[in-house]
Amino acid sequence: MAGVSACVPENVVATEEIDLMSEEEAQVFNNTVGIKRRHIAPDSVCASDMCEKAANKLLEELRWEKESIDVLIFESVTGDYKTPPTSCLLQDWLGLPDTTFCLDMPMGCCGCLYAITVGGNLLTTGNVKRALLLIGDTALRMGSMKDKSRVPLFGDCGVAIALEYDVDAPEIVVDFHTLGKGYEALMTPHGGFRHPATPESFIEEDFGNGIVRAPIHTLINGMNVFSFAISKPPRSVEQFMAEENIDRNEDVDYFLIHQANKMIVDRVVKKLKLPVDKVPYNLEEYGNLGGASIPSLMVTRLRDELTTAPQRLMMSSFGLGLSWATMSATLGPMTIPELQYI
Amino acid sequence: MSNIEKYNNIFVEVFGTEPSVLNESFSKDSVELWDSVHQLNLVSLAEETFDVMLDPEDIMGFTSYAKGKEILINQGVEFD
Repeated sequence: MAGVSACVPENVVATEEIDLMSEEEAQVFNNTVGIKRRHIAPDSVCASDMCEKAANKLLEELRWEKESIDVLIFESVTGDYKTPPTSCLLQDWLGLPDTTFCLDMPMGCCGCLYAITVGGNLLTTGNVKRALLLIGDTALRMGSMKDKSRVPLFGDCGVAIALEYDVDAPEIVVDFHTLGKGYEALMTPHGGFRHPATPESFIEEDFGNGIVRAPIHTLINGMNVFSFAISKPPRSVEQFMAEENIDRNEDVDYFLIHQANKMIVDRVVKKLKLPVDKVPYNLEEYGNLGGASIPSLMVTRLRDELTTAPQRLMMSSFGLGLSWATMSATLGPMTIPELQYI
Repeated sequence: MSNIEKYNNIFVEVFGTEPSVLNESFSKDSVELWDSVHQLNLVSLAEETFDVMLDPEDIMGFTSYAKGKEILINQGVEFD
């Protein structure tokens, strides 16, 4: 991994500013869920725009010729259009050559680990040398603005990761899992070809507890997601560390846990008995950034460490599908530009 | 402390209740305070107390005093 950069919208929304919540509810939310602020893009800004800005800055600091990019992966569930693939638009905007292999991946919160795995494996074939992974979402806009279970959770962000073929690079070890039967816990019921958007897709229903949404909106079944997130991923991390003979206290510099919310991350940390000083958080400032969550930790919390020396990282992400993944990688020193704003 | 005492203490801590009210009918349906947050707190404390890792189905199914005990028995916890 030669570098990573991130871009967030300038607009910051504090929990207290969310109309759906009383002052008291906002305080309770801040203390329990832990997300106090989030950067929210205006409707005119898409994930691709933030990724483009992050990518241009990264390529500039890496001094990579655009002609040298062989692969462009755009990982997002909030692409610009249903068709064409947003990666094709980004190939043009970034001025990449027409030989660029472009691919869209909509894998949600595990998106970064999927993109690294797919991009990395393409590089290992030896046919391509450099890959640009663009990961980002504007997840808030997928849901109802009257859904209190969802609105305060998400922030917007786009990241760019530069991968380069290097015979001497240390191994990246991955472990992926899928629980397809749990797909309804995180989904958008209408708008795909199973249930195309019709007028009834926009009819709102009041589900109580401050949740008003229509079938066109993305939903979260909180209890299902929570029970999944605090059980499957930590168990996999535990098994991963045992199989790879990784001592959590000695062999790992940092554990990067998907920043879903504080309750979940705290629970994962506690279950795995992780040394808390090795677990950076940024959810209080950015919220849940979906697939961009883990790389955003590198930019906002580990920039000094990763730009100066190699760091052994254990990463754990989990999200829609349901899917979850664990990755171990020694990364750095690498190029990490300052956080970009749009 | 016996396992049943440890188990009862979990409910005492989460619901602030007296051990004497804990019985087979103490459940999500009969206890007004029993919401998703309380349920997750119960599960978290049960996992820590008995050093077990529950599956999502068990976490969702932990909806009463009796069911919680059954889930822990399936995890190898013995209640004499």
